[in-house]
Amino acid sequence: MCPLDHPLNTPPKPQTAPTSAPGASLARAWPKEGFTRAPYWVYLDSQTYANEQTHIFRGAHWHYVGLEVEVPNPGDYKTTYIGEQSVVLTRADDHSLNVVVNRCAHRGNMVCREPFGKAKKLYCVYHAWSFTLKGDLSHAAFSQGLRGEGGLPKDFALGDHGLQKCRVATLCGLVFATFSDKTPPLEEWLGEVAVGIKRVLNRPLKVLGYDTQRIHANWKTYHENPRDSYHANILHTFYGTFGLSRMSQESGMVLDQAGRHVYFYTKAGTEKKSADYEATTSQLRSHNDGLKLEDSSILGWKDEFGDGVSVQILSTYPGFVLHQIAHSLATRQICPKGVGQTDLVWTYFGFADDDEAMTQKRLVQTNLAGSAGMVSVEDAAVCEMMQHAMADAQVGESFIEMGGKDLDIQGSSKLSERAIRNFWHHYKEDMGL
Amino acid sequence: MIDFEPHYRRVEQLIYAWARAIDEDRVEHIAELLLDDGRYTVKSRFNHDRGLPLAVIDAQSAAQLRDRILSMRKANVYQPQHYRHMLSGVHIASGDDNTFEVTHNFLIVRTMDLSGDMKIFATGQCHDLIVLTPEGAKFKERLFLFDSRVVETLMVIPL
Repeated sequence: MCPLDHPLNTPPKPQTAPTSAPGASLARAWPKEGFTRAPYWVYLDSQTYANEQTHIFRGAHWHYVGLEVEVPNPGDYKTTYIGEQSVVLTRADDHSLNVVVNRCAHRGNMVCREPFGKAKKLYCVYHAWSFTLKGDLSHAAFSQGLRGEGGLPKDFALGDHGLQKCRVATLCGLVFATFSDKTPPLEEWLGEVAVGIKRVLNRPLKVLGYDTQRIHANWKTYHENPRDSYHANILHTFYGTFGLSRMSQESGMVLDQAGRHVYFYTKAGTEKKSADYEATTSQLRSHNDGLKLEDSSILGWKDEFGDGVSVQILSTYPGFVLHQIAHSLATRQICPKGVGQTDLVWTYFGFADDDEAMTQKRLVQTNLAGSAGMVSVEDAAVCEMMQHAMADAQVGESFIEMGGKDLDIQGSSKLSERAIRNFWHHYKEDMGL
Repeated sequence: MIDFEPHYRRVEQLIYAWARAIDEDRVEHIAELLLDDGRYTVKSRFNHDRGLPLAVIDAQSAAQLRDRILSMRKANVYQPQHYRHMLSGVHIASGDDNTFEVTHNFLIVRTMDLSGDMKIFATGQCHDLIVLTPEGAKFKERLFLFDSRVVETLMVIPL
């Protein structure tokens, strides 16, 4: 039998011919269709990754760095990342929040080594350069020399050698930072999506704990995932079978005017039956009627926010998620670590005024989310499988036309990849691609 | 002062039986080694040291553990993989005639079936409360405290 006739060999599909000039690299051309395609090289190319650090992570965007309650008192600090850059979030003596680059202005040593701490100043161990909690250099050891010899030059000015500072903005207890002076004010940048934040974060918070999921895939494979409402009820069997979220429930998708951010919401208990729903769901693996929990109390949900919404997944560009999954509340922060790894930091919280029963409810429902989450553990698996399957990524592209070929809204159906198209639209703009 | 020496073997064998069941893909058996009202928790040292209550897995009964295993078998999607437990340092810290507080070290290597890649998946210290019942030694509580703040990819097979 000819190899091409073998049932395991599918005939090759015709590839789109490159339109670049002869001799030009095949690898860098974006498909002519634009934001309905994502070429696989974008997930693997090291120059592109370096450009992302410059144009996106140091670009005119707000990056989540933490919760106000993680640094409640003067002197408290947290080390985290914006892109690859280690930064320190501090609460200064005047109660202001500050975000500074965690790299000494002298020779580049890491200033803060702990994930969390309390300090009167930010002190670099290498040469005892000492910075205030706002990042201003207050002292450099032996700057005056010793016994008339050595020391820093006469033109050395402390004010020129502080830690690099970010602009900081907060909304409802979330702290964001940006390296760019061009970033518009936070609420303006969030647009209509701020509504989804305000509906959940309506009073002071309390941290319940952390879970960092190390996904061996490019950060963009993960960022696309919570923008992808198409997959939720197909891949995540747990959702559908137990009624926590079903395609037939009342639901919606909200983007900001510019299309950078998105949130999806679902209302449990609002299932509407229809013939096409019945036909499709009989095909899906999600509706496995053999699946019954012995203890279904884990799924218990009461309308905590008074609007019927049982699940809300909110994403901001390029790497933040706020989730409400029944009573589980958390932020997720994407920390890219090279082209092929993403550290996803989950911060779970409740409200400061939660009673013990509600706190326990939230903790138990953590079993549904995160690294060992029964609902959505598949997301990390598909990201890694994508990364594996794209191989050298010189050939091929994603096809992103569910719900249309446009950026604009066609209803608020969750059967739409509009939020993914919008991501690539903004990505291409930021990256000049 | 209780002499724990006579109980070591029994305690060790229970700990090994749990690990062996998982490594040999008889994961369902571990729920039989947990009391009905027992508790199985997997938590990072990162949270534990800071007094934060969050765990990545917290099954508050054998039924909840069975549910998690059912989800693993029927609902969850993940790349085929195997664990291999390496256990050491079993130490009976305290107890009485039929209840023991036990610690031991664990190191779990995960092997991916497709690529053959082997990786240290998790390591840390386990804190157990083991009780002697007419049916033999059982776990009243298992607390796996893993040293890293990170979980590699996902944790769908219990530790």
